[in-house]
Amino acid sequence: MINDTDYDLRWTVEVDAPYLQEWLQLSGESRWFPFTNEKELGPLLKNWIGFSRFKCSLTAVKGKKPIAIGTLFLMPYRKVAHHSIIYAIVDPEMRRQGVGSSLIKNLGHLAKTRFRLEFLHAELYDGCPGIPLLKSCGYKEVFSQEKYVKEGDRYRSRHMMEIRL
Amino acid sequence: MKIRYSVKGDAKYLTRWFSEPGTLKWFPMINEREVTDSVRFWTSFIEQKASWTAEIKGKPVGIAYLNIQTCEKLKHQCLLTIIVTEKARGEGIGTKLLDHLMSQAKETFGIELLHLEVYEGNPAIRLYERAGYVEYGRHPYYLKEQGEYITKILMEYK
Repeated sequence: MINDTDYDLRWTVEVDAPYLQEWLQLSGESRWFPFTNEKELGPLLKNWIGFSRFKCSLTAVKGKKPIAIGTLFLMPYRKVAHHSIIYAIVDPEMRRQGVGSSLIKNLGHLAKTRFRLEFLHAELYDGCPGIPLLKSCGYKEVFSQEKYVKEGDRYRSRHMMEIRL
Repeated sequence: MKIRYSVKGDAKYLTRWFSEPGTLKWFPMINEREVTDSVRFWTSFIEQKASWTAEIKGKPVGIAYLNIQTCEKLKHQCLLTIIVTEKARGEGIGTKLLDHLMSQAKETFGIELLHLEVYEGNPAIRLYERAGYVEYGRHPYYLKEQGEYITKILMEYK
């Protein structure tokens, strides 16, 4: 377990994008996201890092090196502005040390105090290690949909997890 | 009634229908700016030939579109949206648009799984049920308007 004092949290900035891209492009990582190839990754990456300008994204840094990024994808319409979907990823070398859990909890605090959000949710695919992580942070499944993802002739479900802030 | 591919000129009708008081309450948008944004998003489906307009005597009365996914692993499933102007409801236009959309989804786009999102209390739920859609989940507190919450109901074709 990495000690909380071993890393800091700061606002995400656009120059964090290469780290985010590197983590997302690692072998097997795309299984947990909608993209399959570099062409599909581009728009997700641009959208994700673009939220940093709203100060709704946190980067965990060890020394000066980013080790995780978590972001609130703020909703564009007023009737749904009381909740948000979250995306998060941890540098594979820093996983299973509590960084993701700390990031998720801090995102919840940011959502509640800065943006007055009432709910956060995350969409995860079958088998994603983020599911037990979110459960340990208090998230519960709201609904699931079978056959949402298709890879070759295999299907996987999506799970909508949520926490009330 | 005739069903044709939607064209950009239909945007003014879609904008007007979204803005009808009895319609906007069933969508996430709340004002003109948000409706304009949503209509701009819809135009991308025209370019993909994934939007159809129903017209009576040459005048548009309803639009249905498929939110075609861009990522390969999600392309087999699709979210659909239907809107019929208040004045033309109860005349079977929604049913015909839905039938057309479903056959096009399968034949043209190879869609295996069609699904939709509708808000609790929307009379259109009956239309979807009659067409074979069943509820697979609910997302409580999804919309918030004037302090009241509305549940999102998720349905898919079985």
